[in-house]
Amino acid sequence: MTLEVALFAVIATATAGSAVGVVASRNVVRAAVWLLFTLVGVSLLYFLLGAEFVGAAQLIVYVGGTLVLVVFGVMLTAQGPLQSLKTRPTEWAVGGVLGAALFGLLAAVVSGATGPPGEDRPLPGAGPLGLGFLGLTDSPVSYLLPFEIVSVHLLVVLIGAAYLARAKRRAKL
Amino acid sequence: MLDWFEAAPGRLYVVATLLPLGAFALLLVAGAVKNLCRPARQEGGRASSVYWLLGGDHPLRAGAYLATALMAVSAALAVGGLVWFLRDADQSGHAARWAERVEWVRVGPPAGPHDAPRPAAALELGYRIDHLSAILFAMVTVVGTLIFVFSLGYMADEAGQRVEDHEVDRQTPRPGHFARRGRYGRFFLYLSLFAFSMLNLLIADNLFQVFVGWELVGVCSFFLVGFFYERPSAARAANKAFIVNRVGDAGFLVGIFVAWSALGTLNIEELTRRVRPEANAGTLTRADPGSPAESARPIDRPGSDLLLYPAAAPAHRPGEPARPPEPDGSMPYTLFVLMGLGIFLGCVGKSAQIPLHTWLPDAMEGPTPVSALIHAATMVAAGVYLVGRAFPLFAPEVLLVIAYTGAATLFVSATIALVQTDIKRVLAYSTCSQLGYMMLALGVGGWVAGLLHLVTHAFFKALLFLGSGSVIHGCHHEQDLRKMGGLFGPMKVTALTMLVGVLAISGAPFFSGWYSKDQIIASALGYGLVHKEHVLLFLLPLVGAGLTGFYMFRLWFLAFAGRPRDEHVHHHAHESPRVMTLPLVVLAVFSVGVAWGSPPWDADASYLGHLLHDSEPAAADVPFAEEHHEAHEVHLVAGVAALVVALLGAGLAAAMYWRSVIDPAAIRNHVGGVYAFLRRKWYFDEVYDAAVVNPTVGLAFAAAAADKRPTDGPADAPPRRFDLLTLDGLLTAVGQLADTAGRGLRTVQTGRLRGYVVALALTVVLLLGMLWGLTSQASGGR
Amino acid sequence: MSALGLPPFLVLSAFLFACGVVCVAARRNAIGVLMGVELILNAANLNFVAFARFNPAFRLEGQVFALLVVVLAAAEAAVALAIILNFYNNHATVDVDRADELKG
Repeated sequence: MTLEVALFAVIATATAGSAVGVVASRNVVRAAVWLLFTLVGVSLLYFLLGAEFVGAAQLIVYVGGTLVLVVFGVMLTAQGPLQSLKTRPTEWAVGGVLGAALFGLLAAVVSGATGPPGEDRPLPGAGPLGLGFLGLTDSPVSYLLPFEIVSVHLLVVLIGAAYLARAKRRAKL
Repeated sequence: MLDWFEAAPGRLYVVATLLPLGAFALLLVAGAVKNLCRPARQEGGRASSVYWLLGGDHPLRAGAYLATALMAVSAALAVGGLVWFLRDADQSGHAARWAERVEWVRVGPPAGPHDAPRPAAALELGYRIDHLSAILFAMVTVVGTLIFVFSLGYMADEAGQRVEDHEVDRQTPRPGHFARRGRYGRFFLYLSLFAFSMLNLLIADNLFQVFVGWELVGVCSFFLVGFFYERPSAARAANKAFIVNRVGDAGFLVGIFVAWSALGTLNIEELTRRVRPEANAGTLTRADPGSPAESARPIDRPGSDLLLYPAAAPAHRPGEPARPPEPDGSMPYTLFVLMGLGIFLGCVGKSAQIPLHTWLPDAMEGPTPVSALIHAATMVAAGVYLVGRAFPLFAPEVLLVIAYTGAATLFVSATIALVQTDIKRVLAYSTCSQLGYMMLALGVGGWVAGLLHLVTHAFFKALLFLGSGSVIHGCHHEQDLRKMGGLFGPMKVTALTMLVGVLAISGAPFFSGWYSKDQIIASALGYGLVHKEHVLLFLLPLVGAGLTGFYMFRLWFLAFAGRPRDEHVHHHAHESPRVMTLPLVVLAVFSVGVAWGSPPWDADASYLGHLLHDSEPAAADVPFAEEHHEAHEVHLVAGVAALVVALLGAGLAAAMYWRSVIDPAAIRNHVGGVYAFLRRKWYFDEVYDAAVVNPTVGLAFAAAAADKRPTDGPADAPPRRFDLLTLDGLLTAVGQLADTAGRGLRTVQTGRLRGYVVALALTVVLLLGMLWGLTSQASGGR
Repeated sequence: MSALGLPPFLVLSAFLFACGVVCVAARRNAIGVLMGVELILNAANLNFVAFARFNPAFRLEGQVFALLVVVLAAAEAAVALAIILNFYNNHATVDVDRADELKG
């Protein structure tokens, strides 16, 4: 049992547990906190896999950005009868069975997955990734187009979100 | 401008063809504009002034004058063109200057010189002027112009603001008198369209363009027969003419299709070169399929295939001996026969040959100028013209069918004409009979004789019809011969000109009909002498000549000679106005002299006949050389025989209806059965009614009865049970199925997000499960 | 690292995915649904990175797409929240069962 296996076991257990917490907790604020742990756990797994840049991006964007957004959402919509939003037990049962079946099937499929053993050299970091995005590597493929699409997409989303969430002004008469 | 014509003088004919179309278009637009402006006629303003400018409540007379004038210009061009063509015809290479063609619709790549024969690739428009079309063009335009002029007078009633049609009152009794607006302009509109269509048919150089003109003249005939369409009899006659013609046209289409797919072109000249190369003396060559071309045999030792030759003449370099063209394909001979029969079936319908002749007598419901122009002089002759044009495309078997059809028609129609009492119907059956003569002549190889008769017949039959129109006009639309008599006094010009027509059609010497009929009978006799088993083809026209003499003189004596049989009619009878008698006189002059030659007493010396001879196809000349020779030998015998028989007929008619030596009633009683048989027109109509019309009508009524709502009941009557169970029920069931399915499926669309997610996840689980199950099974099986 | 191999990561990813699906299917709070979506996206991302690590052909691609997903998820969260806020303004609740205007 090497250090890596041990680390993986710990982090995976924590992540999975937090995910169950997200699903199971009744209070949405608690769920947000469980989600925080899950996301951190995933980023730790990225570090474990050697993808430092992606892990860092996960921490910064998700934990620092998205989750804050979610928490803000919770706060802005918190003044309602939250207690009434309970799910019926049968629905829990259906969802649980479905989730279990899905997990079982996926696990059964992927557990048989074989592939080349990982090489021990580290994954490309921020530098090669950035050059790859711009198509400046030796390889013939370039990710300039996805990069551009994402840029435009982000711009559109920015404008759209601002429009949707803007304060409604009454037309002055 | 002159250069344009000089380069291709045939364009003169194109212009002459398009002139009536221009008249048609102008009249059409004027009529449409006038009708659009009609609601505003009392309101003043621009629309109102346009309405009053276009004649106001009266039909526009100027349009009729315009149409007549354009037709006259067309005739002048045609006569000029004929003169030019005859002067040009002596020079070599003139044919190319008088023909042009353009592609109209292209449906495939053009065939290269070395390609295998294949279906034609383009529909073409083109014209080709030869002696035949030039003469017929001049004939149609001249006769047409005269009839236009005649119509100006004959249709004068229609120029009124209000026309009372008493015939409608008689046929459909109802309170009050039937009255309608005059249709002066409309009549000339139809006539102009007809003139264009007929001329287009004449100058066409390919079968498809002929077919276009063919259908157009057919529809014009439909319009004009049904001109008084409020009369049920006219409406029925128009339908009959149109529908019976469709039967023939279906055959024509079959012929066109065969030519298109098997011969690869529709151009008549190319078709001719394809089946009978000039170098092969115009004969058909047959071979067995698969055998080498050297084993090609003349037609009398038949193989089952017909050899085809290249459509274009072989390239001929100066200095080289001319080579006969090599065959480049073949077609089954039966298909060739089928093509000829199909084209001939079209001609049977258009030229009112047995068994499709029944429409022509009924078509006399149309105004008399129409009967003269369309149903005597030109349109019905189109069938004969096409047989003459497409002569090289007919196999010997088809020609025999043509000959027998013509012989049967001429005899049957002539016998029916003996006992008709309606003046126009006598003429109609006489037309059928004369067309039968032409067909017979073409069938026995008398190409020139048949087409010469076509030209002369056009003049004297138009004269006879116009004369009968003048009689009808003078007697206030009385058409029954039994009520006429003694009209010679009040209607001298009409009577004399009609006498000229009667003499011409009966074949009196020195009248135009003599030259042509003489040649026909001679051709038939020549054919009969060579082929002894077909002697009937000579006997029938000989008897027919006697019948013709009888019924034509019977008509004339009944109408003009003797005592007036109906004082009322006779009292009101008057000569027609100058505008109507003038065309009669002109036509009479033509009827006498159009076929004269030098010397005039030699029937073979007809100048017109010699002109037509110049465009006789080799296919009519070479294979019939023996018959032609015989015909020439026996010409005098045949001519004398025909003359004697005709004289007998005429004399009998004079004895019965003029001198009253023999009482017609006595003979009628003596041969009662035959008389009734002829009166009922050999029961053709009855047989067709029983065999075709009644079952069809019955089927239609049955279909109507099965329909959802009965036609005779109120609109909101309950639906019929039969329909609910079959067609209607089926359609309703389809609609209801869609409706029910929609109602059921909309409950699935709950609008609840989580339900969708559950369904989606379930789908993924099921698909993934199937996939996994399958792959594990497959790997387990290995 | 070669001792660990690919399958454990994939199994964990499947677990996260299943949790996300259950979360989306069972939660009535719109924000909770959003969290489920984030879980699903993270599961996918984990797969990308794991494949980038264990398959030499995807060393760059896996990370590139993981980054794309991260960024797009952020954008998606922003839009989703904007929608939820609008919905809340109109209905005074974040119950997704109340958003059934598209019912057939």
